[in-house]
Amino acid sequence: MNKNLYTKELKRNRKNLITWSLIVVGFTLMILAIFPSMAEMGEDIAKMTDKLPEEITKAMGMDAQTWTSSIGFYSTYYGIYIILLLGIFTTSTGATIISKEEKDGTSEFLMTKPISRKTIFDSKMASLLTLTLIIYFIQTLTAIIGFLIFGGGNVDWSAFAIMHVHGLGLIAFFTTTGVLLSMFFKPKKNFMGIVVGIIFGSYFLNAISKATDSVEWLGYLSPFHYLEFNVLDSDYSVSWISLLVLLTLGGVILKFSFSVYSKKDING
Amino acid sequence: MFAIQTNKLSKYYGAHLGIKDVSLEVKEGEVFGFIGPNGAGKSTFIRALLGLLIPTSGSGKMLGLDIETQGHLIRESIGYLPSEVHYYDEMSSRELLEYHSKFYGEVNHAEIERLAEHFELDLDKLITDLSFGNKKKCAIIQSVLHNPKLLILDEPTSGLDPLMQNRFFELLEEQNKKGVTIFFSSHILSEIQRMCDKAAVIRKGEITAIEDINALMKKQMKKVRFVFGEKPKDLVLPEGVQNEHWHNLKLTFEYVGPIHILIDWMATLDLADAVLEEPDLESIFMNYYER
Repeated sequence: MNKNLYTKELKRNRKNLITWSLIVVGFTLMILAIFPSMAEMGEDIAKMTDKLPEEITKAMGMDAQTWTSSIGFYSTYYGIYIILLLGIFTTSTGATIISKEEKDGTSEFLMTKPISRKTIFDSKMASLLTLTLIIYFIQTLTAIIGFLIFGGGNVDWSAFAIMHVHGLGLIAFFTTTGVLLSMFFKPKKNFMGIVVGIIFGSYFLNAISKATDSVEWLGYLSPFHYLEFNVLDSDYSVSWISLLVLLTLGGVILKFSFSVYSKKDING
Repeated sequence: MFAIQTNKLSKYYGAHLGIKDVSLEVKEGEVFGFIGPNGAGKSTFIRALLGLLIPTSGSGKMLGLDIETQGHLIRESIGYLPSEVHYYDEMSSRELLEYHSKFYGEVNHAEIERLAEHFELDLDKLITDLSFGNKKKCAIIQSVLHNPKLLILDEPTSGLDPLMQNRFFELLEEQNKKGVTIFFSSHILSEIQRMCDKAAVIRKGEITAIEDINALMKKQMKKVRFVFGEKPKDLVLPEGVQNEHWHNLKLTFEYVGPIHILIDWMATLDLADAVLEEPDLESIFMNYYER
């Protein structure tokens, strides 16, 4: 790893990190701030939810308790929107951290320095990991503070922790797919569209498979299937095996990405 | 030890030829020219040397190290000046030069200042606000800042005004005196003539000639122009005269052969004026280009 490159990479992504952190922090606080008023109306909404077709409630990860328990309420948003927001930042950063230099022609500057492609790749991945962890912990910390203010006292912290461990697993996995994407695709503008597509797509794949038994197999294709957010399940716990498998897969993806990168021609 | 040594280095982009079987040897301390028209493969060769392109076949060494497996060690001692400069827009020249320096060790702030002053570059302007020529100046400074042993220059003078070109050539002479080897790629022959000891000609991806510049100039013909006082009768031209043309009292021809024979013959003539010229490198190399 090269410290000069690592720190420059962090600096170059600083603005994006701040922007996305503000978005995620704002969104997290907003959800938790809404909860007390939702809880008052909770019973009415719960009745309404019961009238919805079962397929829809299942797909959205809702049940009656969603509206009366703070952690249940938060989990429906965390499981998709917050993962999506965090994922957009980390995955598109993963997709651009190497490819932007190729697009701008600066890879010529970088790759004529006395460092190997392995060092370049490793340093960039180290920066990417750092950025991912920073925004992840900022969001987690915000959520903890939000729960302390708006949670109404009885917060299920262990469910909170499990949910956030699952979240980190998903975000880390999606981030590696961003790196892989950038080895093969060169979008004109940016990777945002593809990234949103991948994360939303895999979420809905899982949602559809839950709602309709006949296409249950579709769920196996989605990482969301393996790391659940249904915190109100009585036996909700960390799926260590899924985490291990997903992170190993992420490692394989990075390894493969590097093998593509190491043989790449850099044209002027 | 050779500064650059390649053995049948080839690069294909799919079926498209970049360079084919390029074998070159550049001695340490030499100023070596690399001439060829646009698209001949000059940049492809340089990019393969630097590890930006992965060669299809063949091998190469720079400063005794393998270009494919030991590239990062080689690049410690190499200064590279690209033909088109692409830098990080959001940085200033100063930031860029400091970032560059940190890959090699400590930042030499005094040297950055000195060179920036020499080339009249405003260090605090953002790269994105620099003109093509000013970016080039920044790239020139960058190429020598870490005291390289070998300078690789790809069309180095494009974008520089004549004053800056001169300062740049002075810098190169200064570097070469310190023992730095210079590999100078260009399609501008007068530059090669000014700087280089030796030059290779590349055309359609293949080396067509490697020549010693001085020997080449000496070996070659002279351009001769005589003006006679009055038109001589029964003039016998010595051997080695070719392409003679009369225009009133003016005779022009090309001469290939020992110079004293020409001078002895001149002494017997009634001349009002005489001009002996070296042909420029351009006309010599046109042969290679046109082949």
